[in-house]
Amino acid sequence: MVNILAACGAGVNSSHQIKNALETELSKRGYQVKCDAVMVKDINKNMIDHYDIFAPISSTSLGFDIDIPVVDCGPILYRIPAMAEPVYKKMEETIKSLNK
Amino acid sequence: MSTIIDIANTIFDPLIKLGAAPLMTIILTVIALFFRVKFSDALEGGLKLGIALTGISAIINILTTAFSGALSQFVESTGISLNITDVGWAPLATITWGSPYTLFFLLIMVIVNIIMLLLNKTNTLDVDIFDIWHLSIVGLFAIYAGANLLIATLLVVFIGILKIINSDLMKPTFNDLLNAPDENPMTTTHMNYMMNPIIMVFDKIFDKFFPWLDKYDFDAAKLNSKVGFWGSKFAIGVYLGIFVGLLSQQSPTQIFTLAFTAAVCLELFSLIGSWFIASVEPLSQGITNFANKKMGGRQLNIGLDWPFLAGRAEIWAAANVLAPIMLILALILPGNGLLPLGGIIAMGVTPALLVITRGKVLRMIVIGTIELPIFLWSGSLMAPFITETAKKVGAFPAGMDSGTMISHTTMEGPVEKFLAYLVGNASQGQIEFVLYAGLALVLYLLAFVWYAKEMKKRNAVYAAEKEDVETSAEGVTSSI
Repeated sequence: MVNILAACGAGVNSSHQIKNALETELSKRGYQVKCDAVMVKDINKNMIDHYDIFAPISSTSLGFDIDIPVVDCGPILYRIPAMAEPVYKKMEETIKSLNK
Repeated sequence: MSTIIDIANTIFDPLIKLGAAPLMTIILTVIALFFRVKFSDALEGGLKLGIALTGISAIINILTTAFSGALSQFVESTGISLNITDVGWAPLATITWGSPYTLFFLLIMVIVNIIMLLLNKTNTLDVDIFDIWHLSIVGLFAIYAGANLLIATLLVVFIGILKIINSDLMKPTFNDLLNAPDENPMTTTHMNYMMNPIIMVFDKIFDKFFPWLDKYDFDAAKLNSKVGFWGSKFAIGVYLGIFVGLLSQQSPTQIFTLAFTAAVCLELFSLIGSWFIASVEPLSQGITNFANKKMGGRQLNIGLDWPFLAGRAEIWAAANVLAPIMLILALILPGNGLLPLGGIIAMGVTPALLVITRGKVLRMIVIGTIELPIFLWSGSLMAPFITETAKKVGAFPAGMDSGTMISHTTMEGPVEKFLAYLVGNASQGQIEFVLYAGLALVLYLLAFVWYAKEMKKRNAVYAAEKEDVETSAEGVTSSI
């Protein structure tokens, strides 16, 4: 199981769209993933270290170094499959690189 | 218009009698089917909306029941009349989506957006369907204050057009703040950015008189990482429960009950908010597909919810600092009836501050402090309307003291709420309100026109800088 952390302003809208899209699309492609959605402001080093991949909407400054792979998932929110596809490909490559 | 309303009443009356949750389940399902969403997805969305409405009602019940007695004693003990509970954005969004008018305003704004795109008056396709509630609540408040549906719709369209234009004006700044290339289509029509003209006035004052203050800006990300869980929703619920409990002279048991009740309610508001957003998802996708088809593959900017800027630490640093400032302001501000709770992390305030100041965090805090009273007054003005609407959708406890109300401290678009109030009252024909509303609308438009000119100047500088970079890059290439 690959654990992904999505994040947005309230941890309610955009991050949940990303969570649902990643879980649906990546499971269709044969990956076992679980994605949590949180507020950006609630992320700390201890929390992020429990995940395999960080999936923000855009580049995010958290005040500490992020030691896990980061995949910007903003294009998923455009709701246009062709624009989301590069994100899914990047996510697939990242999952493969984890060797889990 | 009256014929439309009569027909709507004939169709909706039997449905309305079923209650808000089943009514909105049916309406959302039907509207999604209209946009060619698959039946099972449409029904899933409709049911989730009904469930979210029921869930949010239950949590408002828990919060207001727990706090109403303590707040009455708080007023008695302190002499400070803060009898409006701040439930934050999620209950308000859910209550607003509980009105069929929200879907009506949504359809109108989809049409307005497509017309503006076809006429090349904008380059933004707004796919942030969920946030139509910000405009809808303005229309609903105007109706509550006395406007008919036509006047309310005109007000919604007027503000809606300015919001869409604003998304184009802000686009180069978004690219700058995100360090993104021009091809990045992210933009937003979010209501919180309609505070930009007012913020820009203060920002210009800073430019003129206090530019030296910028050199004292601090590292926002470091501050946020130090705040840690102390700034989380449940922690804030605990503090404010203890605060109200102590000042209302409750027993230790009652104080802890208030603290944990507030904490659990703030967490659950967000959780249920996510169900509610999921409910609108099939419709959002259907509308996006429909609008994209109409645009025939034209390259557009895409209007999202505001949080693509949430990665900028300044937003949270300013919100963290503004929270205690808001609490103090709420206690001393004449005309305020709101005790900050669910909206104390000012997400409806700080994104616009970031865009105008471009991340100068001290300016964000100072200007944020100056504008907070507008939010508190607007929230207080809205409280009777929000409480009554919550009662209509069954989201308010029966038998509660008539003085107990709910609202939101940092609801996006406070100025637009005052406009709705004035326009609604003016519709009743009172001459003074007609004058006030006319004057307010003219001032609002003039402020936006001035702001648009300033943003165009800013965007011209961005374009010139980009041209300089390209020219020097070409120079390097040719010399090689």
